[in-house]
Amino acid sequence: MEMKTISLHDIDLNDRRFCISYALEDETLTESIREVGIVQPALLLDASPLIVITGFRRLASAKKLGLANIPAMIKKVRADEALLLSIHDNLGRGLNTVEKAYALEKMASAGFPRQKIFGVMALLSLNPHEKVLGSFVAIANEGKPLQDLIVRHDASMKSIEYLLKLDAQERRRIISLLSPLHITDSLLREILEMFILMKIRKGAVDLKGLRSASDGRDLKARLKKKSYPILTSMEKKFLATKQLCALAPHIDIKVDPFFEKEYIDILLKIKSENDVKAAIEKLKAILEDGYIRSILELTQG
Amino acid sequence: MNSLRVEHAPSQGNIVRDCPGTKDHICCGYKTIDLIEGCALSCSYCILKAYLNTPAITIHDDIPYITSQIDVMTGREARHILRFGTGELSDSLALDRRYKLNRPLVEFFGARKNALLELKSKWAYIEHLIPHLNPYTIISFSVAPQRIIDEEEKRTSPLYKRLKTARKAQDAGCFVGLHFDPIIIYPGFEKDYRYLIEDISRILDMDRIIWLSLGLLRFPPKLLGHYMEHNRKNLLYGEFIRGEDGKMRYIKQQRIKVYSMLYRLLKKKNKGLFIYFCMEREDVWRKVTGMTVKDDDALMTLFDERIKNLYGGKI
Repeated sequence: MEMKTISLHDIDLNDRRFCISYALEDETLTESIREVGIVQPALLLDASPLIVITGFRRLASAKKLGLANIPAMIKKVRADEALLLSIHDNLGRGLNTVEKAYALEKMASAGFPRQKIFGVMALLSLNPHEKVLGSFVAIANEGKPLQDLIVRHDASMKSIEYLLKLDAQERRRIISLLSPLHITDSLLREILEMFILMKIRKGAVDLKGLRSASDGRDLKARLKKKSYPILTSMEKKFLATKQLCALAPHIDIKVDPFFEKEYIDILLKIKSENDVKAAIEKLKAILEDGYIRSILELTQG
Repeated sequence: MNSLRVEHAPSQGNIVRDCPGTKDHICCGYKTIDLIEGCALSCSYCILKAYLNTPAITIHDDIPYITSQIDVMTGREARHILRFGTGELSDSLALDRRYKLNRPLVEFFGARKNALLELKSKWAYIEHLIPHLNPYTIISFSVAPQRIIDEEEKRTSPLYKRLKTARKAQDAGCFVGLHFDPIIIYPGFEKDYRYLIEDISRILDMDRIIWLSLGLLRFPPKLLGHYMEHNRKNLLYGEFIRGEDGKMRYIKQQRIKVYSMLYRLLKKKNKGLFIYFCMEREDVWRKVTGMTVKDDDALMTLFDERIKNLYGGKI
C-alpha cells in the first residue's frame, strides 16, 4: 500500500462505522501532532468520499489543529474486513471498556458469527460468554453520560452491571449524582450495590437527602443509613455513648463493626503507673455511670 | 424434573462426613451422607448454587460402601448418639421415588438400632418408603409460609402436603423433624409464621416431633450478587451483615428478635418441644432460650438426652 497525502475534504469525517475509539479527543496526541505532525498514517477505505478505517483520533486532532491534509493509505476491502482491521489495529494500545463495547457491538451488528466474536473477546481478555457480550452491547448502546462515567472511574464490570440494572431514568439521575464526585471503583461499586438493594427492596431508587452529599464517602454514609437502618442507629448510639464517656486519648473502647461479637475491647496505652491509675479511675467512673452497660446492650443484641 | 442430567459416581473417598458447621457458631454434630449431590428443586436461596459447580446431579449408590463408612463412624463414637442425614447436598426425597436410594439405608439403620437416619426434604412423597419405615428413621420437612414456598421454593411440595406427609410418617410409627430453615424476614413475615405454627400444631402430633430447628437465612457472600441479579426481594429485604464465619446473616439484634418470637410461639404450642438453632452463636442461644450451650459438645448432649427420653433403652 502506498502512502499518500490526502485532503481532509476527501474524507467523510462523520462516518464512524469502523470507529471504536472513545473518547476521540486526546490532548496529548493533538500536542504531539502540532509538534511533529502525523507520524503513523491513517488507513482509509477506498470509497467516495473516503471512509476512515483507522486513525479517528489522529483525524480529530488534525481537524482541531486546522490541518488541510494528512498522510494516509487507501485500502480496498470489504466492510467486515475493514472492521476487523480497525479492531486489531487498536488491540495493541489496550482498549478501555467502552472501546471494547464498541468493537463487540459493531461485530455483532455486522453479523459476525459468534465464534469470531468470542475469539475477539478472548483477545480483549474478556470471558467469551453470551451474557458478557450482552453487557458490552448494552454499554455500546448507552449514551455518553454512562460511557463517560465508565471511562472516568475505570468502572469494573460489577459496577457497570449494577448501572445497567437500573431503568434509564434512574440511571440518568444516579449518573448525574455520581459524575461530579471523585470516587474509586470500589467505592462506586459499594454505592451502586446499595442503590440496587434499595431498588429491589422498595421497587424504586430514592435520592432524597443524597444530592447534597459532599463527596463519595458522605454519599456512601447517607446511603448506608437508608439501606442499613438498624446497623446505622446502633453505630450512632455507640458513638454517642462513647462521646459521653469523654475518654482520654490513651483509652479507647472498640466493638465489632457489625455488633456480632458479644464482647467489647477496652484499649489502654500506658506509659507510667499514673496512666494506669487514671485509666482505672476513668473506667470505674464510666462503669458506675452505666455507659459500659449501654455498650454491652448493643453488642448483646 | 425429566430434563435432569444424572450421573452415577464411582465409590471413592468419604461419602459419610461431619457436617462442616461454621466457625464461631454452635454446630449440632450432624453427620452427612452425600448420597446425592445436587438438587432438582432449585430453591432461589439454595447455597448449593455457591458450592456445587455442576448442574448435573451425582448419585453415590454403592450402598455397602456407604454403610461401611457409617459403621466406622458409629463405632468410633463413644459418647453421643449419632444422627445422620442425606439432605445436606440434596433433597432427601425429591428423587427417591425414581432411584429408591433411601430404602436400604432405612433398613440398615432399623437393623443397627444405634443411630438415627434423618431424611430431610421439601418433597412430600413417602408412599414407597412407608412399608419399610421404622423408628430409627426420622422423616423431616423444611417448612416455610406458603408465600415463601410459592415465590422461592417453586418446584417443591406445598406446605399442607409436607405437613400431611409428616403426619403420615408419624402414623407409620416414625418421629418427625421440622426445620424452619431458612427463616426469611419480609414484610408481614410475623403473621405468616404465626399461621404456619398454627397449621403445624393442628396437623401434627407435637409430642412426636423429635426436633425442630430454627435457622434464619444465611449465605456465602457470593450469593448476595446472585440474589441481586435475580431480584430476590424477599431474600434481600432484611439487613445483612458479614458474620464472624464470613457468611452473610441478618444483624444479631434482628435474629434474636425473630428467634425469640418463634421460640415463644412454638413453646406455647408444646412446652416439651426440642428446639435448636442451626449454626448460631452461643450468646444468641442464651438470649433466646435462657440456656447456656457453650459448644458443639453441649448441643450434642442435649440431643442425646432428647433421643434417650423418646427411645428409652431402644437405641
